[in-house]
Amino acid sequence: MAGPCALPYGRHMRTRLHATQSRTQPLSGYSRFVAWAKILLPLASLALLSTVFLVARQADPAKSIPFAKTDVEALAREPRVTAPLYAAVTRDGATITVSADTATPDPASEDQATARKVWARIQTSEGIEYNAVAEEGRIEGNEIAILRGNVDITTSLGYRLRTEEMTAELGMTRLTTRAEVDADGPLGEINAGRMEVRTEDVTNASVMVFKDGVRLIYRPSSTDDR
Amino acid sequence: QGTSVPFGGMEGDRDAPVEVTADQLAVSDADDTAIFTGNVVIGQNDMRLSAPRVEVIYTADQSGISRLLASGGVTLVSGEDAAEAQEADYDVEAGIVIMTGDVLLTQTANTLVSDRMRLDLEAGTAQMDGRVRTVLQPGRE
Repeated sequence: MAGPCALPYGRHMRTRLHATQSRTQPLSGYSRFVAWAKILLPLASLALLSTVFLVARQADPAKSIPFAKTDVEALAREPRVTAPLYAAVTRDGATITVSADTATPDPASEDQATARKVWARIQTSEGIEYNAVAEEGRIEGNEIAILRGNVDITTSLGYRLRTEEMTAELGMTRLTTRAEVDADGPLGEINAGRMEVRTEDVTNASVMVFKDGVRLIYRPSSTDDR
Repeated sequence: QGTSVPFGGMEGDRDAPVEVTADQLAVSDADDTAIFTGNVVIGQNDMRLSAPRVEVIYTADQSGISRLLASGGVTLVSGEDAAEAQEADYDVEAGIVIMTGDVLLTQTANTLVSDRMRLDLEAGTAQMDGRVRTVLQPGRE
C-alpha cells in the first residue's frame, strides 16, 4: 500500500478536484452572471463586427472615382494645344504675350493657328500696358495676331475699348482695330470707325489714333463723381 | 473799351454734355495731349464751334477736359448769331469762349469786327475788345 505521506496528500487533492468537477450546490448570482456573460459578450461582439461589413452602405465603385466627361474621340482626332503662350519682343522694345485656352493648328497652312478665349498683353518700353481679351484669335505667320469676337481692350492710360476685331503686329507695337470701336476714358465716351495704337519712333511715345470719323461725348459734371 | 452784346439767345447750361466730332483724334500719353483734326465740330446745347484743329487740355488731375483750343480758322454759331475768328479758347469748366484774331461777329441786325471777343455761354453775352468796328449795311432794315 502507498506510504503514509501519500495518503493524506491524495485525499486532499481528490477533494479539491472533486469540488471543481461536479457542482453539487447551485451557482451563486455572480457566477451565474459570469457564465451568461461568457456566452452573451462574444455574440454581441460578433454582431457589432458584422455591422461593419454586412450592414454598411454599398460604395458604388463607378461614382467614387471622378473622371472628366470630355469627348475623348474629339480630343484624339483634333490636335490641339491647351493654354498656349506666345511671347515676343518687338523691335521698339515692347513685350507682347498672347495666350489662350486652347489653340488648334490650321490644317490649311502650317504656320497658322486658331485659338479660343484669347488674351493678349502688350507692354511698351515706356511702361504703357494694353490688355486685350477676345473670344477667338489667330496668329498668322509670326507677324500678326488677329483677335475677333467682342474684343475688350483696357489700357494703363485709363481707356477701355470694345470692338469686334483687332490685329496686333508682333514685329513692332501696332494695334489696329478692323471694326468700329467704342472707347471710354478720361476724355469721355469715344466712338470711332477705326482705332490704331502705335509707338512714335523718335519719342517712343505711345499714341492712340481714332480714325474714320470720331465722335466724343464728354459730360463736364459727371467727371467729378467718376 | 469793349462792347457787350447779347449773343446766342437763351442761356446755355455749362454742365451740358459736350460733343466733339472730327475725322481723327490722336491721344498721346507722353505729353498728355489729345488733338482732334479734320473738320472738328464742338457742340454744346445749341452752340456749334467748328475748326480744322482742336487741342484738348486736360484738367489738373487728368480726370476730364479743362479747355479746348481751336485753331486754323474758327466759326462759332449759336442761335442765329455767328462769330468767326482765327483761334478760339473754349474753357469748358467755366463756359467761356475767347476768340482772337480778326474776330467777325454777325448778328441779324449788325456786324461787328474786333481783335478779341469774350463769349459767356451761360449768360449768353459777348464782349468785344480791342478796335471794335461796326460795319453798317445801308439799306438793310
